[in-house]
Amino acid sequence: MKPLTRQDLVELAARPATDPPAWIRVQLDTGGIAAGAETVHAALEHARVEQHLPFALLRTGSVGYSFADPVIEVQTPLMPRVLYGRMTPELAPRLLDEHVAGRRLLDDHVIATRQRGLVLDAPVSQILVLDTGSEATNKTEFFQFSFQEELKRRGLSERVQVVRALDLGIYDEGAVVQLLPGGVTYTNVLAPDVARIVGESIEAGRVLDDLLWKTPDKQVRIVLRHCGKIDPDSTDDYLRRAEGYQAFARAVFDLTPEQVIAELKVSALRGRGGAGFPTWMKWQLTRAQPVGQRYVICNGDEGDPGAFMDRSVLESDPHAVLEGMMIAAYAMGASQGYFYIRAEYPRAVERVQLALVQARELGLLGRNILGSGFDFDAKIRLGAGAFVCGEETALIASIEGRRGSPSPRPPYPSVRGLWGKPTAINNVETLAIVPAILLRGGAWFASHGTDTSKGTKVFAVTGKVRNAQLVEVPMGTTLSEIVFDVCGGVLDGHEIKAVQTGGPSGGVIPVHLLDTPVSYETLQQLGSIMGSGGMLVMDKGDSMVEAGIQNGDIAIIKSSDTAETGEIVVALIDDTEATLKRLRKKGASIALEPANAAYETRIFGPDRVKIQGRLAGLYRRYN
Amino acid sequence: MKPSQMMSEIESEAAGLRDADEAALIEFLEKAEQKHGFIPRDISEEVGRLLEVKLERLRRIQGKLESTIRRDVQEHVNHWRSEEGNLIMVLHAIQNQHGYIPREVAMELSRELGVKLARIYEVITFYHYFKLQPPGAHSVTICNGTACYLKGSGDLINELRSQLGIVEGQTTPDRQIHFDTVRCIGCCGMAPAMVVDGRTCGRVRSSDIAGHIDGLRAKKEAVA
Repeated sequence: MKPLTRQDLVELAARPATDPPAWIRVQLDTGGIAAGAETVHAALEHARVEQHLPFALLRTGSVGYSFADPVIEVQTPLMPRVLYGRMTPELAPRLLDEHVAGRRLLDDHVIATRQRGLVLDAPVSQILVLDTGSEATNKTEFFQFSFQEELKRRGLSERVQVVRALDLGIYDEGAVVQLLPGGVTYTNVLAPDVARIVGESIEAGRVLDDLLWKTPDKQVRIVLRHCGKIDPDSTDDYLRRAEGYQAFARAVFDLTPEQVIAELKVSALRGRGGAGFPTWMKWQLTRAQPVGQRYVICNGDEGDPGAFMDRSVLESDPHAVLEGMMIAAYAMGASQGYFYIRAEYPRAVERVQLALVQARELGLLGRNILGSGFDFDAKIRLGAGAFVCGEETALIASIEGRRGSPSPRPPYPSVRGLWGKPTAINNVETLAIVPAILLRGGAWFASHGTDTSKGTKVFAVTGKVRNAQLVEVPMGTTLSEIVFDVCGGVLDGHEIKAVQTGGPSGGVIPVHLLDTPVSYETLQQLGSIMGSGGMLVMDKGDSMVEAGIQNGDIAIIKSSDTAETGEIVVALIDDTEATLKRLRKKGASIALEPANAAYETRIFGPDRVKIQGRLAGLYRRYN
Repeated sequence: MKPSQMMSEIESEAAGLRDADEAALIEFLEKAEQKHGFIPRDISEEVGRLLEVKLERLRRIQGKLESTIRRDVQEHVNHWRSEEGNLIMVLHAIQNQHGYIPREVAMELSRELGVKLARIYEVITFYHYFKLQPPGAHSVTICNGTACYLKGSGDLINELRSQLGIVEGQTTPDRQIHFDTVRCIGCCGMAPAMVVDGRTCGRVRSSDIAGHIDGLRAKKEAVA
């Protein structure tokens, strides 16, 4: 491959690629593949060849809708672009028959667009319906039937299709209807509204203001801007369809390193790994060190259980992270970078490895990049299953080939880091944001978020939530907006109890505090942390203590043969069974209370129970 | 029994020893002792000679093993030679090759890198990912990260325990299936997740476990 020049990038910027008229993108990240995306891809390929259909079958990363994996996106002429979730290989031939050839959407798989329209400027061709109320009284089919009947009565059933949707991104708003292709959305639709919608909106093109859903989508995609849209294994896609390496070219040719740092300062971007240290300051401190070898490290040792945004970004948009690293390296004068990625993320490792090879072939890594005089290269180092290695000094020890023991700071890595040289360690998400800031400007980024926490943050919302997914929202969005409005709250018949943020070292935020806007400061005030962005939803069936005391934890017990009511104790029952329970003295008898409603409290006579000690602490090993 | 007759009998007994394995040799010696009251010199010499032949053969095999180990280790080390702090990456390469880090290989690595064996073990034992025991032919790993935990990974673990008759961290006695748990594989959106021979499965139910195990057992039979 011929090395790229500055001129090539200028031309690429002027002529971005246009999409082919018909395509299907299959989202192949680890989550999608686990759900069977590879077999879906193979079945689509097979059916495409068999039916001689002219569309491009493309591979992309994940848009983040884990709850609906495997997800595909379909664009064919004269049809709205749609996402289909919960695809199966068996559905592939039907999809091609009905959607691609027959121009009809499939029932029960469409995930509606979150970019909802407010005006009807094009004739309606499909009506998506979904009852978002209680599952027990689901009326989706009733509404589908009513709309079909109404359309038939007015002679419109040839022109307009009524489709049961899988998800509309709106929850607990009764029957919801979205009109395609414009995306006008009505909520709390009742049976009498059906005739009005068909008569006024579909026939006459008037929007019904009383039903219209005006709340704009809570999500803003900056980090995830290319995820699910481009092929992570294709530099061509990144260069032509994602403004690839334009931000880097702008930095090296048009800006001094100081100007790059100044732009970051305007953006007020803070580290997305958890602590929220201002990124510009980290770079500035590293840059201020005496001239010599400096390093930049991408921290991809995403260890918090429940967090998977770094994996998803590395798998879906690896070049963006590399470009962010290159800009960081230019700003602080580093010539060598390291990606430290967990070995448990083989696909992320694979895709970053490929991105590095491709970048080297294109002359984007190596000596005199794009003729700018700037030299830089990057390598991968694998983590090996040590939670603590997400910590900066432990991570450095691990890259140096030693056991990952943290060391006290100062000196900070920006002064004495990898092999004693000044080093800046940035999180995956932080680096993925950097090119966007350089292209759109720091002020644009800072226009999102709160006073002290700017921009957007990606959260991996999982646990007992209806729709587990990656969510990217401006800082300042409340926890309940994330959990309820974006992810649909907890499943039917369950009640939310708490949300854990920041992983094991974070905190559990009870339900009455869920209206807290998310920012570094507010979460800290609640005694939790932002962490890298894992957000675990717990419902009332899960015991808090069980979520706190896990299988394999070592309980530190203060030896004692007495204890007060309410204390957690180790008790020996009948000299045979030892158990850790909460003690309640009830008259002469002793009750041992579990911390999980699924178990029953056991009551014994005083002669059967011996107290062995009281819980004084917990010790947990992460490897 | 005449001495000459006894001698020829002993000779023929000794002659039949050539293809005997160790257990047969011991049994033969015990029988000879019972029969003659002592172990005749001819027999003891023949057994001794056979043992030496066997030992020589074993030494040759060991030499061959060692040179293979040396060659493999040298290959891995050469690939990473120019890189500072290469120990962990070399260990990854070794584990990818063997499925674990055999003691002999760690010893050879110590010689090759000029790093103390204790330091190599310090690193291996620090990182959960590196294994010192050979894994089973197949592996089943349940994710026990918080998201999977909440979604019922405990039930999956119990199901596997009862299906396989072992607890996590162990391999079935026939060395076919290794069962383990992992902290988090980043498939929280698909919780509870498990990894079967490197393939990640999401939204697993306890009732799916038997099918997965049968699948692995069938693979084993297909190979055998």
